[in-house]
Amino acid sequence: MSDQAMRDAWFPVGLLSGLTRAGTASMLMGEDITVGLDDTGAPSVDCGGRKLPTVERFGHLWTSLGAPEKDLFTIPEADHPERTLVDVGVVRVKCSPLRAVENFLDIAHFPFVHTDILGEEDHPEVNNYKVEVRKDEDEVWATKVEFYQPQAAASAGGGIITEYMYRVPAPTCSVLYKTCPPRPGEWDVICLFVQPLTEELCDVWPWMALFDDTSTITDLIHFQQLIFLQDRSILENQIPKKLPLDPALETPTRADLTSVAYRRWLKRHDYTYGAQLVAE
Amino acid sequence: MQADERTQWVPAAVSTDILDGTVVPAALPTGPIAVWRTASGELHANGDRCPHRGMRLSHGFVRGNSLSCIYHGWRYGRDGGCEHIPAHPGLEPPKSINCGPLPVAEANGVVWVAAQAPEEAPAEIEGFEALKSMLFCATPAAIAEAAGGALKTELGGTPAHLVTAERTPSETFVVALVPTGTDVASKLAAATALEALRRVTESAT
Amino acid sequence: MILYDYILSPSCYKVRLLASLLGVKLELRAVDFHPGREHKGDELLALNPAGSIPILVDGEDVLTESAAILSYIAAKHGQNWLATSDAGEVGAQQQWLSFSHRLTSALGGARLVEMLHFPGDLAALQEAGIAALRELEAALFARRLTGQTFLVGDRITIADIACFPYVALAPDGSVSLDPYASIRIWMRAIRAQPRFIEMPGIHRLHELAPDPLAGDA
Repeated sequence: MSDQAMRDAWFPVGLLSGLTRAGTASMLMGEDITVGLDDTGAPSVDCGGRKLPTVERFGHLWTSLGAPEKDLFTIPEADHPERTLVDVGVVRVKCSPLRAVENFLDIAHFPFVHTDILGEEDHPEVNNYKVEVRKDEDEVWATKVEFYQPQAAASAGGGIITEYMYRVPAPTCSVLYKTCPPRPGEWDVICLFVQPLTEELCDVWPWMALFDDTSTITDLIHFQQLIFLQDRSILENQIPKKLPLDPALETPTRADLTSVAYRRWLKRHDYTYGAQLVAE
Repeated sequence: MQADERTQWVPAAVSTDILDGTVVPAALPTGPIAVWRTASGELHANGDRCPHRGMRLSHGFVRGNSLSCIYHGWRYGRDGGCEHIPAHPGLEPPKSINCGPLPVAEANGVVWVAAQAPEEAPAEIEGFEALKSMLFCATPAAIAEAAGGALKTELGGTPAHLVTAERTPSETFVVALVPTGTDVASKLAAATALEALRRVTESAT
Repeated sequence: MILYDYILSPSCYKVRLLASLLGVKLELRAVDFHPGREHKGDELLALNPAGSIPILVDGEDVLTESAAILSYIAAKHGQNWLATSDAGEVGAQQQWLSFSHRLTSALGGARLVEMLHFPGDLAALQEAGIAALRELEAALFARRLTGQTFLVGDRITIADIACFPYVALAPDGSVSLDPYASIRIWMRAIRAQPRFIEMPGIHRLHELAPDPLAGDA
């Protein structure tokens, strides 16, 4: 199995606001890297004396071990000047980077893992939704995803049917567009950017672009950290740690169509760093 | 693992450590297992992995006669079969979805589990009952040596049997048995002596 | 009472948990601990020069140690959550409140290294954490032998609340709780208390809620 396809992808490695000249030791796909600012004050990533390409976007510094063919994806909706951009900060998780993304694409766990916030046991049903791979962008999209949520966002006052759209524009990144309680017709943007340290260890950098005039930034950060840390205790207890791409090893249902499409898309592109191809 | 090892009873827990309506983690040489009691106390064991997304079932919860996964609430019955998938309340889960029930038995207040049904019940040690389980960072052989050369020993002045199961090459699950009817003070002394035995064993390893 | 709070802080959670169990309302003030390090900023350092949270402000009273805050809230709103005047209970309560600081530095330290990139000697923190868990397991086993579930006296007290969070979150620092049967039973008894609240990493007991399928059975 070759890791070249993933080596050519972009990955988040730090908050732009947190870069220092001293640099921070980190890892990317098993290789030691140093993330920081160079002598001119520009963001830089060093890998054993080699300068890696960088992109500054969405409040994060991005890099690649290889030679990316495509520019890093964009999120046009996030450019709206009235949105609050929220750097949620990093959380390390002992799981496959691909498992972390797959969990983010899943709504059926809300009643059990995010009880009384994103879901409740009396409303567990997942209705049919639409999943496609958009050919031009080569991205996985799930749309018309609806779910009953007791407290959909920091700003939500009570239970509502929330509509979601999920987008996977890169192997370890997902963008969620979600009903925005204070602004009907607009979408909140919540992203999960995952840095693969090894196949079974990752740093997760959630990032948000929201319309929210009432909550403080700290409230918004805490809400997202609360949700993600509830997931962490699940992610660290899945067996096997790597994401199985062999359909025989796990049992998807209709609610898991996004995950099924994501796994197929990973396999087709050889995005298999953090995946288990056959049962061990 | 050899076929004859698969049909051997392995000590997995102390009976009284698994309350009615709860699930606990344990292990066989084949991998992690979940051992649970129904609300009425009936004992069951199965693989510690939900067939849906691989989540450990020992993190789940028991209602009535079913074990549910904490991740998506998939519900498994006493035969290991999936009974209910909350995301699709109207769906009857296919019979093929099963969390792998395992043979389980209780003897001397110890819960024994096997990968495949053994021909006989677990061997009883007449007149003894489980006191306490403990994980030693040592091999079964090192524990026997520290206990005076055999697993039949004494702890704090009370006769004792040690039942062991190697969990990993460096970790052994140990259950100490003491005579049925041992008084509380002697049990406490035996538990303290078991701690001391672990210290000796681990510092020798 | 105002609590300067961080949703991921087990020490802040102790205070929120006790307040909830006692039915006491707290006014929460969210502190951007990570990534903002607000607890090291001027406003909070003026309140607590140690630069730590939780901080409880109640009129003129400002408290910055979680064990002290638990004692304060229990003294005001739940006397039976404190030791009686019995010397054995007083000693045991103080013993476990002090022990809880070892849990914080060892298991809490490992958690900050493993989860939030804090510097630290992970192996040493985990070893100290395992030593503390083994002590707690032995003590709780001894309590079970005498028919007791909790650490002090014959009921749940602030000693249990002080020790519970960092123990329950030990896996966040890659310290397994699987080997400790008596700790598991004790944690379950705490989680089963009326008005128990969760924090990320500590799930509620779903089985205590009514079974949505019960109507079909």
